Amino acid sequence: MKFLAYFRSVAAKFLRRSRVENDVDDELRSHIENRADDLERSGLPRAEAERRARVEFGGYQKYKEEIRESLGAHFLETLVQDIRYAARMLRKSPGFAAVAVLTLALGIGANTAIFSLMDTVMFRLLPVQKPEQLMQVGMMTHGFGRSPRTIYTNPLWESLRARQDIFAGIFAWGNTQFNLASSGVAEDARGIYVSGSYFPTLGVRPAEGRLIAPDDDKRGCPGVAVLGYGFWQQHFGGAPVDGRTISINGHPFEIIGVSAAGFFGAEVGRAFDVAAPICSETIVEGKNSSLDQRSAWWFHVIARQKPGINNEQIMARLAVLSPRIFAETVPTNWKPSDQKRYLGWTLTALPAGTGISNLRSQYDLPLKTLMAIAGFVLLLACTNIASLMLARAASRSKEIGVRLALGASRPRLVRQLLTESVLLSCSGALLGILFAQWGSRLVVDYISTGRNKISLDLTLDSRVLIFTAAVAILTGLLFGVLPAFRATRVSLADAMKGTSSAKTQGDSRFRAGRWMVSAQLAISLVLVATTGLFVRSFANLVNLPVGFDRSNVLLANVDLHDAGQAGAQLATMREEMLRRVRALPGVISASESVMTPISGGVRDDFIVVDGPNAPKGDDRDVYLNYVTPDYFATLRSRLIEGRDFNAQDKAGAPQVAIVNQALARKFYRGIDPVGRAFRQYATATVLGPPFLIVGVTGDAKYDTLREDAPPTAYFPLAQTEGTVERASIEMRTETRAAQFAKPVEGTILGVSKSAAIQFTTLAQQVDDSLTQERLLATLSGFFGALALLLAMIGFYGVLAYVLLQRRKEIGIRMALGAQRDAILRLVMRELAMLLLAGVAAGLAITWATTRFVQSLLFDLPARDAMTFALSVALLAAVALAACWIPARRAMRVDPMVALRYE
Amino acid sequence: MATQAQLLPGTLDLLILRAVSLGPLHGYGILLRIGQISGNALLIEQGALYPGLFRLVRQGLLKASWGTSENNRRAKFYELTAAGRKRLREEADGWNRLAAAIASALATQPEEV
Repeated sequence: MKFLAYFRSVAAKFLRRSRVENDVDDELRSHIENRADDLERSGLPRAEAERRARVEFGGYQKYKEEIRESLGAHFLETLVQDIRYAARMLRKSPGFAAVAVLTLALGIGANTAIFSLMDTVMFRLLPVQKPEQLMQVGMMTHGFGRSPRTIYTNPLWESLRARQDIFAGIFAWGNTQFNLASSGVAEDARGIYVSGSYFPTLGVRPAEGRLIAPDDDKRGCPGVAVLGYGFWQQHFGGAPVDGRTISINGHPFEIIGVSAAGFFGAEVGRAFDVAAPICSETIVEGKNSSLDQRSAWWFHVIARQKPGINNEQIMARLAVLSPRIFAETVPTNWKPSDQKRYLGWTLTALPAGTGISNLRSQYDLPLKTLMAIAGFVLLLACTNIASLMLARAASRSKEIGVRLALGASRPRLVRQLLTESVLLSCSGALLGILFAQWGSRLVVDYISTGRNKISLDLTLDSRVLIFTAAVAILTGLLFGVLPAFRATRVSLADAMKGTSSAKTQGDSRFRAGRWMVSAQLAISLVLVATTGLFVRSFANLVNLPVGFDRSNVLLANVDLHDAGQAGAQLATMREEMLRRVRALPGVISASESVMTPISGGVRDDFIVVDGPNAPKGDDRDVYLNYVTPDYFATLRSRLIEGRDFNAQDKAGAPQVAIVNQALARKFYRGIDPVGRAFRQYATATVLGPPFLIVGVTGDAKYDTLREDAPPTAYFPLAQTEGTVERASIEMRTETRAAQFAKPVEGTILGVSKSAAIQFTTLAQQVDDSLTQERLLATLSGFFGALALLLAMIGFYGVLAYVLLQRRKEIGIRMALGAQRDAILRLVMRELAMLLLAGVAAGLAITWATTRFVQSLLFDLPARDAMTFALSVALLAAVALAACWIPARRAMRVDPMVALRYE
Repeated sequence: MATQAQLLPGTLDLLILRAVSLGPLHGYGILLRIGQISGNALLIEQGALYPGLFRLVRQGLLKASWGTSENNRRAKFYELTAAGRKRLREEADGWNRLAAAIASALATQPEEV
């Protein structure tokens, strides 16, 4: 009953707010008038009677407030009222409101952007049926690394599919690149080969037509394809697909359907464009098909848990199944010792409701780091706004004094002021969400490269919104609490006289403001130093000697797979292409190679060198490349000794090789390797013929900039006897390399119409390998700059305010004969104290935190003294610059004006 | 006037209930009635009456309706509900017991202990 009555009064308050309010006013006024009537009757004049009646009644607003409280619905009611009031106050100082909202929008937006990336990459469940039932099936390899191996060969997948009986469904897929162009420059699409169970197990519906079903995935199947929804929209404009075909690496595939909107595959960050059944890999690859190769590892496997079967049961069953499955799929070309280990592997299952993603391991620490940086930026924004609000509190002390005098309680006023802060932070958050949407998309575009396109579904979900709301409210309280308590600690008399600021409580507020400056300094220092670390680390990578000259080199990856040529004819075709490319005007030199530097790919094998000190076992592994003459000249790698390959090093001639210095050091230890020979294994146990070393080159980075150049051996491309279908032509050009793509394409197609070509420049390829470092350097650079700007505004604001408060004191000092210099010294001494305190705290925090990012830094200690020193210097310069104007103004105070001021 | 006593906390509600129990009254009337029945011995700031009135209405002890005062002004009249009447009895008993106990304690002479 009581509750009901309360509820009714809450509802009434809300629905008829003004009516109830009027009701109360009517009643109180009626009281006063009735009283005035009586007083009038006792002989007072009407005006006097009314005045007396009002005095006797007491604090009208105070009692009205108490009535409101006793009416219930007080919390919400007051909230609405407070918000209105707060909005009115903020409208009155639009400058402050704009600066605060914008600062907060940047701070909260940065946090939301990074969190939404983390959410998308790490936490979000796949948009499929019951994603929580999905498990990735991996293998415990006992000794090949601690985390389970998760890639499969097709024979292994087929054996697992045939034997497993513990899952409700299981599917496999392998990533590949499809070329959709029938000739010329390749039109790359992100392809996946999927097992027939892929779509049914995930429970994905078609948006058009039908999806690949188990019947489509039988050896010898015809080529069918399912399009991803986004790809369909982009390339087919959402038009019906029945009966249309798509060319995959030159082979026609019938499009049977389109998968549901929002479904991007089981891999986060790599949305597929075209899916084809695994069996159709033989159509595309022909004799190079890897479906029966026991050492071609490229499939991922995910299974769906049966309801009622728990993890232990799954693990137990997988352990029982493992020996048979591994026994029938042993890679025959492995060394016997490795084969033995392979037999000991066991299958295992890991939760996969969020899908799998390469981005997770690569961007886990960078994202966490950015999240921390964004957090610091927001903290800085908070201190900034807190100090602005402290300054405002002074100018509002009169208003607050009046409200206190009228009977408002201090908690009530604190609440009012906090509402104002939270209103600010929520407005900031709304704007911040817009920034975040734009920002997180920008980040994804930034880390997405031509070779490794990243697509993420960045729509806001409830997790992100809750995060943002929580951040907004916490932020509002964080920067609001101190100013609110300070502001309401007003001496009534002073407030009413309007003389509060200079002496009494002004001083303590002043102290809070000063410490705010130190806090700002400390936080900015952390941000600036972190930025410094990432920027310097990036610079280290970019300026690294790489062993080749990346400027003005065009790379054309030419795939002659569909030219239908082999052996000598293929080799002739390649030589003709290279000859014509070399003849193009503006091409200084050109060569061809199987691998290009920093492509991310690796070819490696053991080499065997005679001699007691030669490396043994896995230590014999070296990186390989197959190149034409002029390769080193074109890349401007140094040939240190011996000779380059030449036209005589052709098929049938004695086999030769060029090695780099790293190989010479490791395998020949100071002995001149030129004229010596090494061998390679022809099969797992039998050595092939010797290769004569004819030259030594300088060390050049091979697959990544982050590691020293590995021991590398180069062989003449001509001696591969026409087995290479895919190789890259590298051209050193006189001017900007990219503009040569068009003529080079024409030249290559002039030799073979069916060549598929991908162009990039060597500089671009090197750049693309640094996305993570560049992202960190750029974003932390942006945050660092933002920190400096905020710090500058903060210092300026607080100091200008503080000095204004001390005008009188300074005026007195000057009137008593203090020199300008002395005043400046006074001001600067205080400033130096604040600087020192801030820098000390900042250095301590930086010292304690940067070690977490050590693994993200290249060739730079996380506590790099130089970076720290530069950051301190930069920040001190900014602080001094920000203080210059207020300090100058303080010095110029005219004592007379200052003394008259109050 | 000099002998007016401060109201003890919580006693205002009891006084309001008592005043209203003698017949429906508007706020100002309640104040006059309290003055009258207490012999003007209590000091009550006039406005302080109203939060109490609204509280009692919310608790369902009083009910209110608009009417016209003897001065011919619109006024809100209060009367006791059944719950109010019951509450008044309980509170009055409680108060009387407390007052008697305190009075007896204060009246005790040294030789009686």
